[in-house]
Amino acid sequence: MSDEVVAEMVANVWKVVVAMGDRVDDGDTLVILESMKMEIPVVTESAGTVAELRVAEGDVVQEGDVIAVIE
Amino acid sequence: MTALHDRTEAASTPSLQDWRSPLARLRALLDDDSLALLVPADDSGVLAVRGRIGGVAVIAFASDATVQGGAMGSAGCEHIVTAYEAALTAGVPILGLWHSGGARLREGVVSLHAVGRVFFAMTQASGKVPQISVVLGPAAGGAAYGPALTDLVILGPAGRVFVTGPDVVRSVTGEDVDALRLGGPEPHGRRSGVVHVVAASDEEALSSARDLAVLLARQGHFGDRPIDQRPLSDLLPDNPKRAYDVHPLVDGLLDEPGVELHARWAPNIVTTLGRLSGRTVGIVANNPLRLGGCLDSTSAEKAARFVRMCDAFGVPLVVVVDVPGYLPGVGQEWDGVVRRGAKLLHAFAECRVPRVTLVTRKAYGGAYIAMNSRSLGATRVFAWPSAEVAVMGAVAAVRILHRRKLLDVPDAQRPALESELAAEHDALTGGLQRAMDIAVVDEVVAPTHTRGAVASALATAPADRGAHGNIPL
Repeated sequence: MSDEVVAEMVANVWKVVVAMGDRVDDGDTLVILESMKMEIPVVTESAGTVAELRVAEGDVVQEGDVIAVIE
Repeated sequence: MTALHDRTEAASTPSLQDWRSPLARLRALLDDDSLALLVPADDSGVLAVRGRIGGVAVIAFASDATVQGGAMGSAGCEHIVTAYEAALTAGVPILGLWHSGGARLREGVVSLHAVGRVFFAMTQASGKVPQISVVLGPAAGGAAYGPALTDLVILGPAGRVFVTGPDVVRSVTGEDVDALRLGGPEPHGRRSGVVHVVAASDEEALSSARDLAVLLARQGHFGDRPIDQRPLSDLLPDNPKRAYDVHPLVDGLLDEPGVELHARWAPNIVTTLGRLSGRTVGIVANNPLRLGGCLDSTSAEKAARFVRMCDAFGVPLVVVVDVPGYLPGVGQEWDGVVRRGAKLLHAFAECRVPRVTLVTRKAYGGAYIAMNSRSLGATRVFAWPSAEVAVMGAVAAVRILHRRKLLDVPDAQRPALESELAAEHDALTGGLQRAMDIAVVDEVVAPTHTRGAVASALATAPADRGAHGNIPL
């Protein structure tokens, strides 16, 4: 079972909090985006391991872009 | 609207067959020994009864999934119409338990006419008595629009709601999709907004229906429960720019966590029914964790429908504001954010129940107006001490107003100049003080005293309710 965590809105990637292979739980912050002059944590809704991390700090993500894959 | 053939293979199992019977389901919904038949039990596909929920008188009906998969014919539809007449006469909530493939094919246009009469009865009752639907099995065609016309729709794990089933979809459009993905809990909980509450089991679905019926029908009075003050500001992050989940604050404002509606659809706004000081209230709150708490077309529509439902049933509102604005973008504009966002303005402006606004951190721009501002008729507007009310944030404003000046200084000095100009801008435009001077904010309230202040503002306002239906916006 793998879950894609996608960006809900256009944003800058301000901080990447997790690394590939990290264990995460439901509600854990993966990255922090910056948009609408706010720092918006992106949280996972599933527990597992960070299998893919497709963004780096400073990237711009569009709505629907995959940020990470949790397995 | 075509009949859906019921192919539940386990129908021969006695226990499951028992559970598919409308009497078993209605018994499980109602208080023990409170059920009385409203019409004689027959093979019409519908059973209508009166009974009690938590002591509250209600009318209820259920599809009979053991007869033609619960398909709706003229006799069954007449039972539903009779149930609606009884609910309106008594002024009590009406609950429908749905498990039906839609109109009876064999009756042809006669059944279509009968289903249409059910829709008419539902619409006539809209805004007068609370209508709650629980979908426990397939609800296709006419049986889909029945629940959709009611105030609240609860979906059990086996509930599947669609206009046309997978077979028709496949033969007409070639799309290969199963009933779960077409009209199950995931699409209706997250994507369509058709369902207000997704339940993990049938028992949970019925228990949500009971909770909601009691919240709407026995609303109580402020003071029924003593107000304990709580350190609500602890629920916000120290950094004012940091987004956070508003749910703990919503739960903290209420006596105990309420029933959230549309929890996973348009999650950037939270709509919850619960009790404050013992009285039923509706909470509308921006959720900064999702989309930064921006209003967008879907969340405006969700909130507008909730506000109108609460207004129709006399439920006072608490509006918790932390909103950076309307979500910008081509997608939003083409999606009709102007038209759909206008629904929230309309809903608040026409709203007659007491409605209090609490600005916790910020209220910017058009979204400030939409979130039950004084201009739209808020009963009382509170702000926490550090709240900002503005066209936009002070720093963002000076970046536009003083763009040249900021460009002229070296990069290293820019942040300092920005905050200096922002302070100046605040002093000039007034910030919270200016909002109080012109009485668009009535009072700065300490987070710890918020529950008492909100309850007392709602309690002292004249109790009123809107005289309108609750169109499923």
